[in-house]
Amino acid sequence: MLESLLEFLIQGVVLGGLYALFAVGLSLIFGVLDVINVAHGEFFAIGGYLAFAAVVLLHLPGAMGILGAAVGTFLLGLCVYPLLIAPLKRRLGGRPQGPLYLVLTLGLSTFLQSSLLAIAGGDYLRVPPQVSGILDLGVTAVSFQRLLVLGVAALLLTALFAFLRFHPEGLAVRAVSQNPDAAQAMGINLPRVFAFTLALGVALAGVGGALMAPLFNVYPAVGFPLTIKAFAITILGGMGNPAGALVASFVISIAESLSVMVIPSQWQNLIAFAVMIVMLLIRPRGLFGRAVSR
Amino acid sequence: MTRRARALPLAIAAGAVLLPVLLPHPFVLTIATQAAIWALLAASWDLLSGYTGQISFGHAGFFALGAYAAAAATKHADVSPWLGLLVGATIAAVVGLLTGFPALRLRGHYLALVTLGLAEIIRLVAQNWMALTGGPFGIHDFRSFPGLPAAALAYRQAMYGVVVAIVAASIAVMYLLCERTDAGKAFRAIREDEVLAQTLGINTTRYKLLAFAVSSGFAGLAGGLYAYYVQLVSPSVASAATTSLVIGMAVFGGLGTLWGPVLGALLLYGLYEGLRFVGVVYNLVAVGLVIMVFVIYFPRGLAGIGRSA
Repeated sequence: MLESLLEFLIQGVVLGGLYALFAVGLSLIFGVLDVINVAHGEFFAIGGYLAFAAVVLLHLPGAMGILGAAVGTFLLGLCVYPLLIAPLKRRLGGRPQGPLYLVLTLGLSTFLQSSLLAIAGGDYLRVPPQVSGILDLGVTAVSFQRLLVLGVAALLLTALFAFLRFHPEGLAVRAVSQNPDAAQAMGINLPRVFAFTLALGVALAGVGGALMAPLFNVYPAVGFPLTIKAFAITILGGMGNPAGALVASFVISIAESLSVMVIPSQWQNLIAFAVMIVMLLIRPRGLFGRAVSR
Repeated sequence: MTRRARALPLAIAAGAVLLPVLLPHPFVLTIATQAAIWALLAASWDLLSGYTGQISFGHAGFFALGAYAAAAATKHADVSPWLGLLVGATIAAVVGLLTGFPALRLRGHYLALVTLGLAEIIRLVAQNWMALTGGPFGIHDFRSFPGLPAAALAYRQAMYGVVVAIVAASIAVMYLLCERTDAGKAFRAIREDEVLAQTLGINTTRYKLLAFAVSSGFAGLAGGLYAYYVQLVSPSVASAATTSLVIGMAVFGGLGTLWGPVLGALLLYGLYEGLRFVGVVYNLVAVGLVIMVFVIYFPRGLAGIGRSA
């Protein structure tokens, strides 16, 4: 009993690293741009495909696959604000039309997902692991690949939070997140911060995709279920609060892993949505959300 | 409405009536029948999201509920398909109403996310509740409407007639509700400014719940029609791709007009099926593009282009 508890706990923490990589970016984008990126999972998928292209097609080392995914999704993400969000924002003027952005990014999601299908086909592509071997912990064994996901997630998220805390550009991002008008008055270039934040957020998902590719395989729809789950995580953590999303990622992943001890495993995906709906009913701003609803 | 805008729905109606006579081809009729089902689903989405401003990302869920309920009732309890349609619509309406209660406290992003989560829960239940839903393989081998002719073409023609008649009647009911009753005015008032609507003495709670129940009920009815027409219901009908297609149709046609989403559904579904000849993967690429371009540049959809031009 205790052994299996420990085993599931460890698996949960490892899974939490992936969720965090994904959900923190989503939450950051929402906090700064006030846009829920429904296409977040497609950048995860693109990251996986870029890793596949680098490692399998070009025979580059695994690390290059991760780097390629990061750079590729970052560059792609840079285009999203000027090409899609900004024109809609211009048309709407000052009116708050949150759900329209959802519809817009839903369109982007459909477009990207089916473009991947058109370019790469629907086959499940296998990507060799960046690291091989298994760490034996006695109660359970964890593959080095899963530890790599956790390690890279920890590294990148530490870097991200340090960047937001200390770097002048990071401070600008946080300033815009708190009060866009005041930030603009202080001379911050809003469109630049918006484009940059979006690129940063989706690049985190892209790296996640490259790291998970050896574990999940890669196919066009691989990221979408993760997007829906990440919505649940960001709501639990408080929308627009990256640190809250980080904590919520581990809460959900550990709850999912431990649930296997109580309910059949095919139902474990329900947990996140049940948590989301309960959370929205009793405390819509989440565990750590801002008091003002937006 | 200008005369031109009024002429278009009439042209659609005339085309719908004449189609099985002018183009009696099984393939054409199959696509037309399915397009009509999509038109009903898009119109039901528009009642809730276009008219009342409560953006639902979960209509695939209501559609799937109606489809599964109808198929399961006929397969497991031998319920007549006519009654099965009613069962599907009622169950979807009840679940929609139940969704409406929490939705009263939520708006914008949050409502969309809750409904998306709900559809995902429905999909997971459909996939895992083997005994009732057949799991990943879905429900099949159940009977369709009784008394239709057996010959292939005549069957398609009759089926087309049944589906189009039910769809047209449903859309007419929704249109009357939205354009000829106080409820329709209340829907629009809630969309434009909920607080102001409340101040004016409109019972926003009641009308929002009404919009949820009616919209999800008709989505469920569309699901039932789909079940008896296709005779296979699998978890993929509840997928987000279905919702995406419906929203694409409504945005394409023009939100808050009912006939705009109907037109959008007919054209986009035609495009969707037509592009199968080019390559089966390009149809959703086109749907994604249509959603993005219309949200940004043509917010009032085809209906708006017709009106302002």
